[in-house]
Amino acid sequence: MPILELHHLRKYFATQKAVDDISLSIEKGQIFGLLGPNGAGKTTLIRMITGIFYPDEGEIIFDGKKFDPRNDISRIGYMPEERGLYKKMKIGEQTLYLAQLKGLGRAEATKKIKEWFERLDMQTWWNKKVEDLSKGMQQKLQFVTTVLHEPKLVILDEPFSGLDPVNTNLIKDEIYNLARNGATIIFSTHRMEQVEEICDHIVLVNRGKKILDGTVRQVKQDFKENLFRVNFSQAITAEHLAIHLFEVKQKGDRDVIIKVDPASTNNDVLHYFINKGLGIESFNEILPSLNEIFIRQVEGTPTSRQFQVVNS
Amino acid sequence: MNKILLIIRREYLTRVRKRTFIISTILFPLLYLGLIFGTTYIATKGGSNLKVAVVDSSGYFDKGRVERENLLDSSTVLTLVSEQPDSLRANFKEMGYDGFLIIPANLNWEKGVKKIPLQSNNTMSNEGAAPVQAKLNRIWGSIKNEKLGIDETKKNILETSNIGLYPQNINDKSANSGVASGIGYVAGFLIYFILLLYGSQVMMGVMEEKTSRIAEVIVSSVKPFQLMLGKIIGISLVALTQFFLWIIFIFVIYNITKATGQSNATMNNMVGGVQEVFTSINVPLILFCFGFYLLGGFFFYASLYAAIGSAVNEDMREAQSLSFPITMLVIISIALMSAAMKDPTGPLAVWGSIIPFSSPIMMMARIPFGVPGTVPWWQLGLSMVSLVVGFILTTWFAGKIYRTGILMYGKKPTWKEMIKWAFRKN
Repeated sequence: MPILELHHLRKYFATQKAVDDISLSIEKGQIFGLLGPNGAGKTTLIRMITGIFYPDEGEIIFDGKKFDPRNDISRIGYMPEERGLYKKMKIGEQTLYLAQLKGLGRAEATKKIKEWFERLDMQTWWNKKVEDLSKGMQQKLQFVTTVLHEPKLVILDEPFSGLDPVNTNLIKDEIYNLARNGATIIFSTHRMEQVEEICDHIVLVNRGKKILDGTVRQVKQDFKENLFRVNFSQAITAEHLAIHLFEVKQKGDRDVIIKVDPASTNNDVLHYFINKGLGIESFNEILPSLNEIFIRQVEGTPTSRQFQVVNS
Repeated sequence: MNKILLIIRREYLTRVRKRTFIISTILFPLLYLGLIFGTTYIATKGGSNLKVAVVDSSGYFDKGRVERENLLDSSTVLTLVSEQPDSLRANFKEMGYDGFLIIPANLNWEKGVKKIPLQSNNTMSNEGAAPVQAKLNRIWGSIKNEKLGIDETKKNILETSNIGLYPQNINDKSANSGVASGIGYVAGFLIYFILLLYGSQVMMGVMEEKTSRIAEVIVSSVKPFQLMLGKIIGISLVALTQFFLWIIFIFVIYNITKATGQSNATMNNMVGGVQEVFTSINVPLILFCFGFYLLGGFFFYASLYAAIGSAVNEDMREAQSLSFPITMLVIISIALMSAAMKDPTGPLAVWGSIIPFSSPIMMMARIPFGVPGTVPWWQLGLSMVSLVVGFILTTWFAGKIYRTGILMYGKKPTWKEMIKWAFRKN
């Protein structure tokens, strides 16, 4: 059962159609990638899911019921891209305050904070102030405050910005951990290599519209161009490659990148090379990276949004 | 509701625990203490006793009269000398005088003389010379009286037989306008200070949330309106706490000074006046109104300051230029108050104390003159209702701006844009 369904969501601002008819569905326990260039409408979409904005049109179904911000936001954890903490407030006190705002009781919150601080090696931080922490440490603390109340849906907007590789891995492990324990993660970013690594399912948004929706595997399959890299055990010549089965994209001394003609199969190609008496060392399909797909999809549209006239 | 309480608690505790709060709370009574002891000290020690040599060329002054006057008032000492002006000029310092003056020979008792220099070798202000002039004139007065044949009885009649006048409100005969205007001024100014001081604290608090980027984290847990309201209520409680502590301090200090006998004539007058007022005016009503207008005015203005804080970015100057119109309203109120005090029943005073933006200050200035004598019940009621309606409107309006502004980064909006935010649908 999906934890979150969006049906034809719309949100128009005075000069922009920030979100223009987006529908999607997120299954429980998934790590969901919400991708898009800057200004695509990701933040507006998330703000509607977190109850900060009301949609102009459309419907949000949260955990099987119509989304009711007043009650449901305690089951959502949101780490916005524009995030921060009270600089002058003590860390323990501040974490407690934010947890209580999410509806946790004082005693329960204290217990949970202690557990988390222990797990992430932050026990000594309790009486420090946020301004004493480095940026990476603040990020770690921010993550803890986001997930402390054990939300069913965790929304992370660029969670790794400003983190060093060690802490990135630490947070990444915690994200996997949360998903294993049944939480659903929405992961908003434009860092494609992380998406490829972490996400099960992605949606690409551009200019307020959804332009891609599927599992990472599926999307890659959809955008593959039948490119293969073939390595030979001997040098190859131009005559070897003069055939209608494929088109040569790039030729090296002993290797070649070919685009297989849709009318022929991989086996046809292999047969051909074997019949020619060439020793084949490897034959690999080249799938496009998400980064390439992303750029291809978004290319040609203005990088920053133009102001448009909205009639609504 | 529970969440608003959490926010209020945080806003209150973080502020009350701050060093600046503790310092300013203690510093104010200390300054007050300093003022009392300082004025006492100056009043007793004030003005080093001037010793002035007087050369009388006119022959009107005699030693007996001068000595008698010296005995009555020792703050300055006049001494008749017979030195030549030139030798006096050269030697008055060695002879132990601070200065000297020469009564001209052509002095006529019927005409007097306008300008005699009080000569000394340092620059003396007119205030410094005033006691000498007063003493000289008292002596001169007794000389004139003698010349005119006025004895003690006649002199008494001349000095004490006067016609006195005092303002009386026929609706409220007990109202004492002198003390009333004193209380009015104090109450008006206190509200004025608290509005400006704590209003800007609200603005800074909102700016802090915005610039530290915590606003969006919090509004994913609570409604922006709850956050704003919690902040305003929390800070208003801080203001009340500080105010309450000051009253306690002042009360304690006053009792200490009274017990040690340090209070002076002005203090006694003031206390006497206050006691007189306490018997003549309705203290509970004034206290209730003070609390009402303080909080009402605070909510009215603080929400506007919150809206501005939400709209600007880090830049303090942006905040100042945007908040200028609001601050101006408070300053205009205090300026109008001074004008209204002169005529507390005139149209300026009446309407100024009903319209919400100026009513917290102006109504508080009028109430001590008497209810219902100076301020009829209908005016007080109308003023209170319109202040409540006023602050509900400004809070609603500010809440709308706040909701948009707190999540908006980039250029500083204009007032026109902010008003547009307020009337935009969600």
